[in-house]
Amino acid sequence: MSAILLITRNEWRRQFVQPFAWIVLALVGALLAWQFLVAVDVFMKHAGKLASTPGAPGITELIAVPMLQSLSNLMLLLVPLATMQSLAGERRAHTLPLLLAAGVGSMRIVLGKYLGSLLLVVLIVALAVAMPLSLSAGTSLDLGRLAAATLGVVLQAATLTAIGIACSAWTAHPALAAAATLVTGSLLAMLDLGARFQGVENALVNWLAMSTHLEPFLRGIVSSVAVAYYVLVAAFALALGARRLDTLRTRA
Amino acid sequence: MTPPSPVLALARASRRLSGRTIVEDLTLGVHRGQVLGLLGVNGAGKSTTLRMMAGMLAPTSGEVALDGVDLYADLGRARRDIGHLPEEPPLYNELTVAEYLAFCARLHGLPRRGVDAAVDTAIARCDLGEVRRRLCGLLSKGFRQRVGLAQAIVHAPRLIVLDEPASGLDPVQALRLRELVASLRADHAVVLSTHVLSDVVACCDHVAILHRGRLRHTGALAELDDGAALRVRVERALTIADWQAIPIVAGAAPIDAHGWRVTLHEGADTAALATAIAAQGFGLQELRADANALEAIFVRIAESEAQAA
Repeated sequence: MSAILLITRNEWRRQFVQPFAWIVLALVGALLAWQFLVAVDVFMKHAGKLASTPGAPGITELIAVPMLQSLSNLMLLLVPLATMQSLAGERRAHTLPLLLAAGVGSMRIVLGKYLGSLLLVVLIVALAVAMPLSLSAGTSLDLGRLAAATLGVVLQAATLTAIGIACSAWTAHPALAAAATLVTGSLLAMLDLGARFQGVENALVNWLAMSTHLEPFLRGIVSSVAVAYYVLVAAFALALGARRLDTLRTRA
Repeated sequence: MTPPSPVLALARASRRLSGRTIVEDLTLGVHRGQVLGLLGVNGAGKSTTLRMMAGMLAPTSGEVALDGVDLYADLGRARRDIGHLPEEPPLYNELTVAEYLAFCARLHGLPRRGVDAAVDTAIARCDLGEVRRRLCGLLSKGFRQRVGLAQAIVHAPRLIVLDEPASGLDPVQALRLRELVASLRADHAVVLSTHVLSDVVACCDHVAILHRGRLRHTGALAELDDGAALRVRVERALTIADWQAIPIVAGAAPIDAHGWRVTLHEGADTAALATAIAAQGFGLQELRADANALEAIFVRIAESEAQAA
C-alpha cells in the first residue's frame, strides 16, 4: 500500500475512534434535518398553489438546492474543525518525526492527511444530500441538478479542506490553524461582496471569489472553469502545505 | 583481512541551517554489533547529526552512506533500513500499542503479510505483552519509551538511531531501557544520543563526543579505560609532591581531601602502585579504576573550548 493511503487510513481510524467526528456528524445531521423538515413543511403548505402554476420551481429547487447552499456556508465553519488537528495536531503531539523519518515525501504526507480529512467532509455532504434524496420515493427530483449542486458543494468543501491542511501545516496550534482556515475561507468566499454591491460582476475579483464558482453548480451547470478554479486553489494550498513540511524538516 | 564496511558512514558531513554551521566535517562510522554513544553538551550539534543519520536532513556537504550507498540518493532505503526514536516518542494516543506498531511497520515498507509477526517480535523484545491492547495515550512514561523503541525496531532496520531514550524515566525504568538498548547490538548498528554519561557507559561500546558542531573525540570505550586514571583514597592528607616520590606515578590530581585521581607511566600496573602506596605509608583505603575516564575527557573537551572562546 502506498504511503499516502496508509496515512489516509490511519487518519480515518484515528478520527473515528474519537468522539469528535461522531459529535460533529450528529450535530450537523440534526441541524440539517431540522432545516430539511421546515423546508418540506413550507413546501407542503404551498404545494397546491405551486402545482397550479406553470413553470413553478420544483422540490429540488425549493428544498434540495437551498439546503446544499446553506451547507456550503456551514462548511466555512466545519472544515476548520475537520482539518485543524491534521498536521498541527501531529506537531503538537510530536508525532510528525515518525512520518518524516519514515522516508515519506512531504507531498505524500500532505496528500495522505488531505484525503484523511476529506472523508469527514464528504460524509457531511452525503448526509445532507441523503435527506432530499429520500423524497424521491414519493416524488420526482431533478437528479441532474441535484448531482451538479452536490458536486459543486463537494468541490468547494474539498478546496476549503486543502486550505485547512495548509493552515494546519503552518502552525503547531490546532486552534490557530482553525482560525486561519476560517479567515482564509471566509475571505475567499466573500471576496467580491463589495464589488457585487457596486454592480461589478465580470471582473477578476469576481473570478477569484469562491462563491462565483459555486453558483453555476447550484443552477445545475457543471462549469469546467469552476472545476479548474477549485482544483487550482486546492493544488496551490496543498503545495504550500508540502513546502511548509519541507521547511520543518530543516528546522534545528 | 579487510574490516567489514560500516552500516552507517559519515564522510566529512557538514550541515548549515539558517546561515549557521551546525555540524562541520563529521567523519565517523557505525558497524553492526556496535552501540555508538553520541555525546555532547546542549547545542553541540547532536540532534542535527542524528537527523542526518536518520535520513531526515541531508548534509550541506559531505556524504552520509548506508551500507556504502549515499543515503540521500535513495530515501526509500531510510524507510526500510533505519529505525528512529526521537526524544519524545512519536505515539498516536488514539491507537492501541498493537495497532500503532502495525501502522509503523507498514509505514516502513513491510509487506502486509509480515506485519503481524513483526509486531509480535517487537512486542516480545520490548516486553510489551501486557499492554499490547492498551491505548498508547494511557501508557506510563516508561511504557511509552518502550513502545517508541518498539516502533524503531519493528521493521528490523539495519541502523537504529535513538535520541535520549532514557530521558525522564525513573532509575528502574532507565535501567531496563538501557538493558534493552544494549541488547539491540546483536542484530543492529545502534547510535545513541545522550548527555547522560552513565547511559553511555552502560549501553555503548564506542563513543563520539561532539562539541560546537565538531567531532572532538571518537573511539572504543574499552580503549578509554586502558589508559585511564585510577581512583585512590588514602588516610593521610597528601600533596602532589608525595605522589611524585613514587616513580611509577605519571600524575596525580586531588578529588577531595583524601581522594586522588592518579595516572601511571606506561607499563606500570595497579598492583605495583598498591605496593608503593603501602611502602610510603599513605594508608591505602581504596584503589580502583576511574570509572569517570569518559567524564574527564568530556569535561576537558567542554572546558578547553570554553577557554578558547
